[in-house]
Amino acid sequence: MYTVSDTMNTQFKKGVLELCVLVLLDRKDCYGYEMVEEISRNIFISEGTIYPLLKRLKTEGLVISYLKESQDGPPRKYYQITEFGKEKKEKLVAEWNEFAMGVSNLLYNRNVDMEGNCDE
Amino acid sequence: MNKDDYLKELTRLLRKLPKGERDDVVSDYHEHFIIGIEKGRSEEEIAKALGNPKTVAKQINAEYMVRKAEDKQSAGSIFEAILAAAGLGIFNLIFVAVPALIVVALILTLFAVGGVMIFGGILITLSYMFQPLIPFHLNLPPNQGILGIFEGILIGVGLTILGVGLVGGMAYLTRWLYGLAIRYLKYNIRLIEGRKGTKKS
Repeated sequence: MYTVSDTMNTQFKKGVLELCVLVLLDRKDCYGYEMVEEISRNIFISEGTIYPLLKRLKTEGLVISYLKESQDGPPRKYYQITEFGKEKKEKLVAEWNEFAMGVSNLLYNRNVDMEGNCDE
Repeated sequence: MNKDDYLKELTRLLRKLPKGERDDVVSDYHEHFIIGIEKGRSEEEIAKALGNPKTVAKQINAEYMVRKAEDKQSAGSIFEAILAAAGLGIFNLIFVAVPALIVVALILTLFAVGGVMIFGGILITLSYMFQPLIPFHLNLPPNQGILGIFEGILIGVGLTILGVGLVGGMAYLTRWLYGLAIRYLKYNIRLIEGRKGTKKS
C-alpha cells in the first residue's frame, strides 16, 4: 500500500526523495536496492530515479560510496552520508516539518506551532 | 525488455558521458538487476519498475551537461546544457527554452546595437573630418563652418565611445548571466518531471 497517492505531483516527489535518501543514509549505510525497497514501501517512486539522484548527491559531496562484499553474489556499492550531507539533511528535515505543519494547519483549520502548542 | 537489453540501451543513451562515469552508472543498474533477480523478480519486471531508460538517461545527461558547462565555460557547452535540460519534459521545455531564447535574443540585440554605434560613430567622425575636402560628400548636413565640423566629430567620437562602453558592459553582463544560467539549470533539473514508472504489484 502506498501512503502517498500515485497521482501526486512527480516534481514535488523528486524534492522529497532527496530528503528520504539522506534520512535513510543517516541511519545506516545502504546500497541502492535497499533504499529503493525502503522508500517504495511508503511512497510510490519509479525505481530508476534513485540512481541519478545518488549520483548527484555524490557529485555534491553529500554522500560517498564504497564497495563491500556480500554473502550472496558480487560486492555491492554502499552509500554513506558525509558530515556535509548530515547538515543538509537537518536543513531539509526542518524545512519539511515547517511545510507539512503549515499544510495540515491549513487543511484542518488548526493553529499548531512547531512546539505543538495548540490554540483553537 | 530484459536485463541485457536494458543495460545496452542505457549504455547507448549515455554515450556522451566519459567512459568511467558511464560505466559507473551502468554498474548501478546492473547491481539493481542482480539483487532484484536474487529476490525472485523477473528481469522484465525489474526493467519495468526502473522506468524507461530514456527517462533515466535524459536526467543523467542533463546533469552531466550542466556540470560540463560549469567547468568548461563556452557558448557551445552552455547551449548543449540548455538543450539537454529543455529536453527533460514539457515543464522544462517551457521554463528553460523560452527564457533562454529571450535572454539570448536580448544579448545579441544589445551587442548588435553596440556594434552599430561603434561603426556609425567612426563613420560620422570620418565623414566630418573629410567634409572640408569633399564638400558634397554623402547626405550630411550642410557645412556649418569649422564649429559644425568639430561638433560632428565630437558626436561621432562620443557615439563610438558609448558603443565601446555598451559592448564592454555586455561582455561583463554575459559572463554574469552565464553563471546565473548554470544555477538556474541546476535548480530546474531538480524539478524534473519524471515519467511515471510502473507500480509493483
